[in-house]
Amino acid sequence: MSAFEFSHVPLDTQALQASLQDPASGGYASFEGWVRDLNEGRAVKHLEYEAYEALARKEGQRIVEEAITRFGVRGARCVHRIGDLGLGELAVWVGVAAPHRGEAFAACRHIIDEIKHRVPIWKKEHYTDGDSGWVNCERCAAPTVDGHHSGSEQGHHHDHQPAPLTAPVSPHDSPVPDYSRQIVLASVGVDGQKKIRAARVLVIGAGGLGVPVLSYLAGAGVGVLGVMDSDPLEASNLHRQTLYSLQDVGRPKALLAAERLRALNPDVDVRPYVQRADASTLPTLAAGFDVLVDCSDNFRTRFLVNDVTVTLNKTAVIASVYQYEGQIQVIQPGSACLRCVWPTATRDGLVGNCAEAGVLGPVPGVLGAMQALEVMKVLLGTRSPAENAVVLFDLQTLQTRRLKASRSADCPTHCSGNDLAEAKPTDRGILENGPLIDSLDRARALGLAIIDLRDEQEVTQEPLWVLHRHIPLVRLLDDSSVLDQSTGYLLVCTKGLRSSAAVSTLRERGHGNVYSLVGGIAGLKERSTPR
Amino acid sequence: MTAIHVQYYAILREQAGKSAERIDTSAATAAALYDELATRYAFTLGRSQLRVAVNDEFCEWTTLLSEGCQVVFIPPVAGG
Repeated sequence: MSAFEFSHVPLDTQALQASLQDPASGGYASFEGWVRDLNEGRAVKHLEYEAYEALARKEGQRIVEEAITRFGVRGARCVHRIGDLGLGELAVWVGVAAPHRGEAFAACRHIIDEIKHRVPIWKKEHYTDGDSGWVNCERCAAPTVDGHHSGSEQGHHHDHQPAPLTAPVSPHDSPVPDYSRQIVLASVGVDGQKKIRAARVLVIGAGGLGVPVLSYLAGAGVGVLGVMDSDPLEASNLHRQTLYSLQDVGRPKALLAAERLRALNPDVDVRPYVQRADASTLPTLAAGFDVLVDCSDNFRTRFLVNDVTVTLNKTAVIASVYQYEGQIQVIQPGSACLRCVWPTATRDGLVGNCAEAGVLGPVPGVLGAMQALEVMKVLLGTRSPAENAVVLFDLQTLQTRRLKASRSADCPTHCSGNDLAEAKPTDRGILENGPLIDSLDRARALGLAIIDLRDEQEVTQEPLWVLHRHIPLVRLLDDSSVLDQSTGYLLVCTKGLRSSAAVSTLRERGHGNVYSLVGGIAGLKERSTPR
Repeated sequence: MTAIHVQYYAILREQAGKSAERIDTSAATAAALYDELATRYAFTLGRSQLRVAVNDEFCEWTTLLSEGCQVVFIPPVAGG
């Protein structure tokens, strides 16, 4: 069973659904695409699907795996029909199982949209008038595609096509973003707006600080906006996190924020990550962004963001609040970083966060708005006064104080070269301790792809219930080039013996990022059986 | 005795019960001043968890104080 497959025969949706059954999933969402009798005004009789299967399968698998990581769902699959299909027949099926419905719906929607845009599948429509024509399936997904059809080579890649900068809005068209109020500023202009659109900004934490940061950056038209937060919305968040609604309590904030921000500005490519920022997730994710905005509520994350920023030569805008006070600092390559100012990493619990110390909603609101402003200054190339300084705000007295800071010769982050300083030993934990992992949840948390090493017969008797690739041991050891060096893998077998041996062999061959499931599938079942 | 303007942030402000004050002290360095105030207000944070800034610039605890200087004691904060 693979994450993305083609089928030449009609799909059995019950069996597909059953393949995602999993005791930890409380929500299941699926999408079915059917053959319709009309396309662009022409009556369709039946149609044929064709794909570059090898290429398409790879891209399809990538999409489903991406969705699993991005939305933190437990399992997902997609199957696409190939060949001749009649009206009403099921052409594509997507299924997602997750602990809660929010992630299930979002991942399902994401998968079908991406499949339509990125996977090279073509269909030949046979019209009732006897005519026929090839149509790129990307056209099915886009609601407002311009006229010419005839299956021309439209790109299969997912290009983000933003709206024009200041398009006039006619009352009959759907409105488009209008940046004229900021473009008119001398410091912005059309060139500045282009810089904002070209930017990729990752916001860590979608809470009191994150909400204004995200709202203003989405409003401003930042090209790609990442939202990283693993927490579900709580009712006690709402007095300061005004992007959300009471009825959303319990849903992941990253997904809620993405929904709201896409509605606020469809021009922005919003990417939600329902993930905790730790040393195994943040460096990889951060590599794809230009600016990191730390809106977290704990020192552990804040120092990690700092260390990743320095290590990857990125820019970060860091802020924090305490009751009526706030601090803000901008870190640029070469400038003072958080550890230049605070060389001893302060432990969480010493100085309170919002839950412990209390906070009035507008306080993070003010600081978050300032972070958004500093991000825009950075994007526009204006020097920020919060660089090589910590700026303090006392919102009780409305006093501001800028304390100059300089790059410290003893800074542990700057001195550690390309190492992630103190983040590693604590956050990588289990990985540092050896090549063993004891649960699939742990593997998922670490972003590992799962490979089932068992042979065909074992797999048939006892299928693995989570998304994985099946590569029998012998085949994997014959050709380990199927392993991508930038991905981590968890190898799984029945009792953990073969996987352990495979890990030793692969590590000797230089694949450092492979792990073995302790006790195998039998061990998992034993541990999950109530005593 | 040296007259100094002191400002407190975050938990120090709570423990001192004020955000700023003018004091006369015999302390010669920032460290000595903090120790004196820590005794007076029962501050719970040690110097290693704080930074001090004199005249709007972060500095070492050994920095000498001068008449009329502005001293800020500040811990990092985590809320968001």
